[in-house]
Amino acid sequence: MSVFHRFWDSDFAWDFRHSPVAVVSFLVALLLVLSALFAPLIATINPFEPGNLNLMNGFTAPGTQNAFTGESFILGTDDQGRDVYSTILYGMRISLFVGFAAVALGMLIGVTLGLVAGYFGGWTDAIIMRIADVQLTFPSILVAMLIFGVAKGFTPVEYRDQLAIWVLILSIGLSDWVQFARVVRGATLVEKQKEYVQAARLIGRGAMPILVRHILPNVLSPVLVIATISLALAIIAEATLSFLGVGAPSTQPSLGTLIRIGQNYLFSGEWWILFFPSATLLALALSVNLLGDWLRDALNPKLK
Amino acid sequence: MLSYIFRRILQSILVLLVVGLVAFAMFTFIGDPIDNMLGQERTQDDIDRLRGELGLDQPFVVQYVKFILSALQGNFGVSYEQGRPVAQILAERAPATLELAAVSAVFALSLGVVLGVYTAIRRKGFVANLVLTLSLIGVSLPTFLIGILLIYLFSVQLDWLPSFGRGETVALGGWTTGFLTSSGLTALILPSITLGLYQMTLIMRLVRSEMMEVMRQDYIRFARARGLPERVITFRHALKNTMVPVITVTGLQLGSLIAFAIITETVFQWPGMGLLFINAIQFVDIPVMAAYLMLISVMFVGINLIVDLLYVAIDPRLRT
Amino acid sequence: MFKLTTCTAVALVLASAAVAEKFSWAGTTDPQTMDPHAVNSAPVLGFLNNVYEGLVRRGKDMAVEPALATSWEAIDGGAGWRFTLRQGVTFHDGAAFTADDVLFSYERGSSEVADVRSWFAPVSEVKVVDDYTIDFMTTAPNPLFPDSIANFMIMDRDWAEANNTARPDKEAGNFATLNANGTGAFTLADRQPGLTTTLTPFAGWWDTAEHNITEATFTPIENPATAVAALLSGDVDMINPVPIQDADRVDQRDGTKVIRGIEARVIMLGFGHDHKELKYTSDAGEPNPFQDARVREAVAKAVNVDAILQTIMRGSAESVSQLVSPAMRGYSGAKADRPSFDVEGAKALLAEAGYADGFSFGLKCPNNRYLNDEAVCQAVTSMLAQVGIDAELEAMPVQNYWPELREDNFDMYLLGWSPGTFDHEHPVRFLVSTPNEEKKLGSWNFGGFSNDKVDELLPAIQSEIDETKRQAMIDEVTGIYQSEHAYVPMYVQPLVWGTRDNVELTQRPDNFFLLRWVTVN
Repeated sequence: MSVFHRFWDSDFAWDFRHSPVAVVSFLVALLLVLSALFAPLIATINPFEPGNLNLMNGFTAPGTQNAFTGESFILGTDDQGRDVYSTILYGMRISLFVGFAAVALGMLIGVTLGLVAGYFGGWTDAIIMRIADVQLTFPSILVAMLIFGVAKGFTPVEYRDQLAIWVLILSIGLSDWVQFARVVRGATLVEKQKEYVQAARLIGRGAMPILVRHILPNVLSPVLVIATISLALAIIAEATLSFLGVGAPSTQPSLGTLIRIGQNYLFSGEWWILFFPSATLLALALSVNLLGDWLRDALNPKLK
Repeated sequence: MLSYIFRRILQSILVLLVVGLVAFAMFTFIGDPIDNMLGQERTQDDIDRLRGELGLDQPFVVQYVKFILSALQGNFGVSYEQGRPVAQILAERAPATLELAAVSAVFALSLGVVLGVYTAIRRKGFVANLVLTLSLIGVSLPTFLIGILLIYLFSVQLDWLPSFGRGETVALGGWTTGFLTSSGLTALILPSITLGLYQMTLIMRLVRSEMMEVMRQDYIRFARARGLPERVITFRHALKNTMVPVITVTGLQLGSLIAFAIITETVFQWPGMGLLFINAIQFVDIPVMAAYLMLISVMFVGINLIVDLLYVAIDPRLRT
Repeated sequence: MFKLTTCTAVALVLASAAVAEKFSWAGTTDPQTMDPHAVNSAPVLGFLNNVYEGLVRRGKDMAVEPALATSWEAIDGGAGWRFTLRQGVTFHDGAAFTADDVLFSYERGSSEVADVRSWFAPVSEVKVVDDYTIDFMTTAPNPLFPDSIANFMIMDRDWAEANNTARPDKEAGNFATLNANGTGAFTLADRQPGLTTTLTPFAGWWDTAEHNITEATFTPIENPATAVAALLSGDVDMINPVPIQDADRVDQRDGTKVIRGIEARVIMLGFGHDHKELKYTSDAGEPNPFQDARVREAVAKAVNVDAILQTIMRGSAESVSQLVSPAMRGYSGAKADRPSFDVEGAKALLAEAGYADGFSFGLKCPNNRYLNDEAVCQAVTSMLAQVGIDAELEAMPVQNYWPELREDNFDMYLLGWSPGTFDHEHPVRFLVSTPNEEKKLGSWNFGGFSNDKVDELLPAIQSEIDETKRQAMIDEVTGIYQSEHAYVPMYVQPLVWGTRDNVELTQRPDNFFLLRWVTVN
């Protein structure tokens, strides 16, 4: 209780409560995450189970009755006769999972390498930052294709169907770490000149404890801001990769795959196949972006 | 200082070599060019013969070394798909991408600075917040979708702007430009908005936060106290001081504009290097992919090198 | 007075109809070369048919008709074919066309480095009789030979030799990769690979021009939505293909229309006949249920082809019972029935084969090769799930797909086949006969289906001159691969082209777009 109270009374929480944009976007994001989490409970069918689908339900408009099967669907159906509403819920799970996991991976690699590069300097720094250069050169689509190719060679056939998701996480995470590394490296460079770090060094503390106990906490707030914005970017990147043909499999579509499929029906009049997944993606990415924006201002004391 | 520059250039060359090696390691995984090069009635003999001729039967390290050796002599090989020297193809395609990137950068920079200044001055204003929120919508949808929606609206429904391509171009020596014809200019509008939208948002936000920080500085307060008009303060004093980081970031972003024009070029069938690269992936056109990646890395590494050297020149503390 | 106005109006209409026009069109892929012998692929051959010509050509109805040869006949009781050549034909550069150019083109096209050389596998020798007569001798009687060389295009010997392009060079390219000198209705005016290719009419063409084009420009547009937008906004006059789902909209919209037809390409499911084990999913290992013909038949019954045609194909395609469409020569009318959709029957067959509880396996599918290929595979997956067998679908771009099939990495796969010769013998040779590297048989029979009777009948079909006997043998082969369920042929892929309302053109089932039949009003 007291922890909660202390948090509620903190500047951070006060700031939050008095920013309607932050509150609304937080609620929207929360709602979306929760509905993805509880998709099996609130969806009408499991669209990832091919046996549940009836092709003859295909292209039913929202709220209308299908001419052959007589069934109707609140947000309509797509080309496979999948209920768009349920598919969005399940698809959002994939998108969020890929997003969170990719950002976590990018953050882990980036923060570690950034700390190491900034703290040790010299050749270590040079090697890490040049690896970052190499990384920047490779468009994420190529990274995705490479990892996919390599992974295919090494995964036992039973796990092949899970492969695409992990490939997406790896490739987005790998294209993501550079910005974490750069920011953390910069902050570490500044931080290690400060007296407390110099003092800790003088009394003979090792590099690990200094990095973890002293420097890391002080570089965390920019990392948090980047992580939030990266989450939105990762979800969108997943959609883009899907457009280029290396996305989630169409039998288990993510939001991005749904949009890629839906854009084929923009001209043909089946607007709902594109509109609802896009609107969901927009709501998700926008609320996360707005939260990130607010976070950046809230954590930057200079702007108060 | 000299030894730093030397070391840094050496590192950059190493980076290029590694990029090449990684690229060749990847090529073995992205598919097989043979099926695209031979027709339906090919036999296993044909497949083996062609593979031998192209050197695809050798380990990727050998392929890579061969590529580097001939690249050093200015020979980037011959495209599998087009049967023409890759250097020539890239030279043909480069103007389209560079012009698109330049227009996008100008669009992003000008609109970004204007909106950034506006939202910084009217910090609490309704319009400013609306602009901030709307600009986020642009970066909350995938680029390909924005492009397709723009085409749908402005080409198909309103019929104002062309749906694809560069329009008419004029050849000036080895350079083809779309700047000199009206169809070339209108063709640039939609793709450069699509490509520049993300950078525009980025620059706008950067200008806004830099401006807000500068406005709190003492010298601005003194200027206010002296009774200088707000306009003079904003533009002569505050904006001038925010331009250094803004230009640095724009410079760095120019590289990524070129590298990531891939999506925009695919959606708009823009005949630049990005489209060439996507085609090359689909055809598994290894020489084209290799040369494109090398070109992009030269660009990135070059920009990074210049920025780093400039920093060192300005701030001697970083020399250690 | 009234009459006079009408007359003027008619005259005006006629005048405007006769006015020549510029024309622009877009397709998915750029022809990769302008060399007619370097690459044997539909985009290249289709495009170059506007520029180059063969001894024979196909008319609007696909029938073979005289082109550079005015007539042909079998000689010496089937030992070869004699072609009488057209006189007074010139190449685009003004050089005269003679039998020597045919001989040269044969040498060029049958050389080791030419992709089209398989067309000449049956040829033993080519003899120039005189300037306008040439004999193609074959190793065995070959009734189909004139049909099989409709895309064999003739190049001028002097032009080729003067420009160092006496042999095609696909890898490094040469003069003929970017330049062309044919006898066809159009000359190549400008070639920018991957961007635009411009053709202009050839004033000295031997045939009477039906078209009214002054200049035709081709642009490849890869993204289907962009291509549709280009047509709808009037930026191009014709696109091929129109995505099936957009066909109705394009047709209804003012200013554009759709031309539909049936392509020669049959879409089918294939099996790993010679795999002892399943390769994918948790059921990987022995046995491979697809080695049992009853399981294959169950698949055929479980797939509701009509539903696929109605939804995914929007009624544009037709179901098919065999490996060729009814429009092809040698189509077996006697074997026109395909297994009907029957969920209970499929389950019964599976139970009989010992798989009452079903099993799971890997289905491979391309996602950018055939019309809506991935969506079709997805639908197949859900239909198979309804009879209790779970397909784990993996869809991939075609550049990864063929290597995967060649390495036998599939339990079941999707394949489309368009018979290059428009004859039933073609898919039998490539897909049904036992793979044999030496004899160049079964080279696309990835699953290794093998039947002795088929292998025995194929050479007989190839050399039989009597149509009735030949058809009887084809019927027999068809019966064998149908009852064995070697493949599950599903449907013939539709052709959907979109044009501006003022364009008249002819759509041929081989998906070749010929400018000589285009009029712009």
